Amino acid sequence: MVSPPRSRTAEKVMSAAEAVARFVGQGAVLGMGGQNIGRCPMALTHEIIRQRIANLTVVGCNLSISMDQLVGAGLVRRCECGTGNLERFGTTFCWRRGIEAGTLEIEDYSHLAMVSRFLAGEMGIPFMPTRSLLGSDLLEQRTGAAPSAETAEEPRSPKVFVTENPWNPSERVVLVRALQPDVSIVHVQRADPIGNVIIEGFATHEPEMLRASHHVIVSCEELIPTDEIRAHPARTTVPFMHIDAVVVQPYGAYPTSVYGHYDYDADRITAYQDAARAGSPAIDEYLQRHVHDPSTFDDYLRRAADPQRLQTLRAAMREMM
Amino acid sequence: MPSGARPRRAPAAPAYSRQELMVIEAARHLRDGDIVFVGTGLPMLATTLAQRTHAPNVAMVIESGVIAPRVRPTPISVSDPKVMYRAVKLGTLREVLGCLLQRGLIDVGFLGGAQIDRFANINSTLIPRPDGIRRLPGSGGANDMASHCRRLLVITHHEKRRFPERCDYITSPGFLDGPGGRERAGLRADFSVTVVTDLAVMDNDPQTYELRIEGLMPGVTPDDVLAQTGFRPGQAPTVRDVAPPSQEDLRVLREELDPARIYLKAEETASVRR
Repeated sequence: MVSPPRSRTAEKVMSAAEAVARFVGQGAVLGMGGQNIGRCPMALTHEIIRQRIANLTVVGCNLSISMDQLVGAGLVRRCECGTGNLERFGTTFCWRRGIEAGTLEIEDYSHLAMVSRFLAGEMGIPFMPTRSLLGSDLLEQRTGAAPSAETAEEPRSPKVFVTENPWNPSERVVLVRALQPDVSIVHVQRADPIGNVIIEGFATHEPEMLRASHHVIVSCEELIPTDEIRAHPARTTVPFMHIDAVVVQPYGAYPTSVYGHYDYDADRITAYQDAARAGSPAIDEYLQRHVHDPSTFDDYLRRAADPQRLQTLRAAMREMM
Repeated sequence: MPSGARPRRAPAAPAYSRQELMVIEAARHLRDGDIVFVGTGLPMLATTLAQRTHAPNVAMVIESGVIAPRVRPTPISVSDPKVMYRAVKLGTLREVLGCLLQRGLIDVGFLGGAQIDRFANINSTLIPRPDGIRRLPGSGGANDMASHCRRLLVITHHEKRRFPERCDYITSPGFLDGPGGRERAGLRADFSVTVVTDLAVMDNDPQTYELRIEGLMPGVTPDDVLAQTGFRPGQAPTVRDVAPPSQEDLRVLREELDPARIYLKAEETASVRR
């Protein structure tokens, strides 16, 4: 592990720079929160890029703009996921280019299969059965590398096992392996100083993934007192034992949306997608300008989105509630 | 089913695009009370159209964890706040893909465009090319839908390359290698597929499980369909003509569901006039 065991009831508020330096190591298996254009942990992703933490394996269900920026920065060795895309904004171009060039390893699952892996991981058991994947090519290892590269692949333990239900041998199930990321990053609406986390709105694969992870860094729109957590305990999505670091970062998911707070910024996402589609040097310039040059995420926000723009995104969300 | 038929001598039969009729025809395949697992794009348009016309009690389930929302037009992502409007629950991926879909509580799974073969297997992962592969987004919840729902609805443009004899990669299982294929793999056998394209409606032959022509879009002949299909589909005993859209269907689709023409492509709207 990259750090000593988490001290569970201590205050965990720290800067993104400190949290990433402490908990994200070179070569880590990184659990990625968010989905598509919703609640992607952009502030924490930018910090990983700024610190150039390389050789990552990024895991999640849908991997989108945050993963793609890490790939674009040359920091990702491998992905295990259900999809890479940004829906209406197109695919994840750096991801796609890496897979097609053979520089990025990919292990494909369905979204339920990935959630089942996190579910096994969070419950401390080695695998989980599912009835997805049966009959499909997702059962096989072959999903990314070009056919010509197959011979060069190192032998691996099987991706999944197809077996029978011991109580009813006529029934087949697929066993998928537990997944416990070294560290997961997620952006949420609210957290308290010791790491009780409230996710509002859709929660995707995050509750299972966070509880399965060895370390978790949470960034939040709003820091609330523990008394407020205790006043409404049913609202807590994940309790403090699972969390290592709390980073207070309003707009920490920008340009993706945060339910109840602000809508996504289509122009900014499109600007990133244009650079990602074009590849080098456009993507390098984008990352230099928007990630490396700003000293902090707040500095990035000042450059990328004026206050009036952010207010517009807030108003758009209010109108939808 | 709503009647798509208009009075024969209506003085101003509406002009519409093939893409619009594709969405409207797909909506007709949803029954009131169906629980539908759906992503965004044309499937979302079709499902919300059904809700606002003949099937108000269709309940949508969306992969990001959204259960039974009253979707506000026009969402562009399963994590767009517009898909969450007035939902009964905003939950997790496990709750919808596991506790509803794999649990067997979803009637219809709705997928968008992809490579789809003779036995309705679907590829959304990769296409081999002489110089390597062309990578597609991957399964997402598509494999889960095809594995666990009772009826699979597919909307796609009808092009030869989208309808190969055999998919290069099976992301989502249709009938696999034919009769008995799903049972041998361990999948539910209680399963049917309907494919709505801009040329035809295809369903699976109940004996051979091959896709066959069940309906033809207005002005389209079986030969037109064969020319754009990479395998040779059979025909249902009676091939129906797909009814043109009603004025109301078009109004809801254009004015309420996609007024900004995010999914209904402007360049395709100038086409068929009947």
